[in-house]
Amino acid sequence: MKRVRRSTGGVAGRAHAIVVFTACLGLLSACRVEAPERSEAEERARTTGYRGILLEDTDPRPDFVLTDARGEAFDFRAETEGKLALLFFGYTFCPDVCPVHMASIAAVKRDLSVEEQRRMSIVFVTVDPERDTPERLREWLSNFDPSFVGLRGTEARVDSIMLGLGLPAAIRDTTAGPDYPVGHASQVIAFPPGDGFRVIYPFGTRQADWKHDLPRLLKK
Amino acid sequence: MLVVLLAVLHWSLRRAGGGERIQKETRAWFGGVLALWIALDWPVGALAGYLASAHMLQYLLTALVAPPLLLLGVPAGAWRRLASRARTVRALRFLTHPLIALAIFQVTLYYTHLPSVVDGLMVTPLGSFALDTLWLLGGLVFWWPVVAPVPQRPGFGYPLKMGYLFLCTLVNTLPYAFLTFGELPFYGIYELAPPVGILGPREDQQLAGLLMKVGGGLILWTAITIQFFVWFRREGEAEGPAPAA
Repeated sequence: MKRVRRSTGGVAGRAHAIVVFTACLGLLSACRVEAPERSEAEERARTTGYRGILLEDTDPRPDFVLTDARGEAFDFRAETEGKLALLFFGYTFCPDVCPVHMASIAAVKRDLSVEEQRRMSIVFVTVDPERDTPERLREWLSNFDPSFVGLRGTEARVDSIMLGLGLPAAIRDTTAGPDYPVGHASQVIAFPPGDGFRVIYPFGTRQADWKHDLPRLLKK
Repeated sequence: MLVVLLAVLHWSLRRAGGGERIQKETRAWFGGVLALWIALDWPVGALAGYLASAHMLQYLLTALVAPPLLLLGVPAGAWRRLASRARTVRALRFLTHPLIALAIFQVTLYYTHLPSVVDGLMVTPLGSFALDTLWLLGGLVFWWPVVAPVPQRPGFGYPLKMGYLFLCTLVNTLPYAFLTFGELPFYGIYELAPPVGILGPREDQQLAGLLMKVGGGLILWTAITIQFFVWFRREGEAEGPAPAA
């Protein structure tokens, strides 16, 4: 049987194809932008032990009383004493930051042991008390975790608590109609059981970050 | 724009083909364009920025459904013209060698599903376009040895084509396993996206993994079945009619 010998041009073709394919992958690798907050979170974990932003030598957890979704008074300091408390200011009509934070925390909380879960308290304070009725607050939080605590207070009272924590007051754009947006701080503040420091979790905190930090915070 | 470009390309290929009757090819071609349209336009294209499962559906349509249809839609005359270009055929012979094609497709599959790549590229329209283009090109290279008549590969018959497709069903198991059984969401873009529907990021990722395995498997096994029946029919034709008793 006659065998056809391939021309050496085939070798050049192969080389070209390999070079082009590798170059394309190389170009795309250059586009492989890792989100800056990821590397920052990992760098923080190396230096402080937490992927969140550690604030050392801080005041004890804030002392305020608001109304929970059952209509009863909730004393934040007394109710969360000796527990890891995660405090967040948001609103249930929030399209992005609030549901993402709540869903992330709830997902990671479910992975913890029952004992660990008992030793933490997640508190959501609404910055939009007008639309966030007690029923709405309870129903919305139950979608994530029934143990999440929803608190309400007057706008002035909630704003003053936020300012006391170094957070900007919420901005309610009620001129935008019934579906008005509310500008609010997007970070979750973690108060460890022993107080003395707090850890800030900005928007962009991933479930992997919570999974890394929550067990460490529970030990403090 | 992509759909218009593809339609124009097909029109020019038809012209190059000499105006023969090519209804079957036209149906396949527009089937491919339709798959691309569904993948890239609303709602799948829009949801692909929010849900990993929609992103996976986009991948299946762009890399596994559209390419074979587009290749089947190329008129015979265009294939003849291509076959007359020796240098192009030589390059295609290498690039679409089954082992090379499978390797290119798998590298593309793995690379374009890496969390850092998805998170880095999906945040910009250009990056998203780069992913779609990679999937389409990877899919064309993968399906080429199965569907395209140029270059001829007499040694790569139906049984080997079936084996080639079967091999592909196995190698997507690794990303499927990572997505389906991963404890945490891999992709920041989907984890931190505004919620859509009732699926949380983990469930959405599991659905994406299942789509990759089940949806991808369904497409590949359909192709394997078609290859089997075509092979069966051709064998029957080759043997000729049974002699009269």
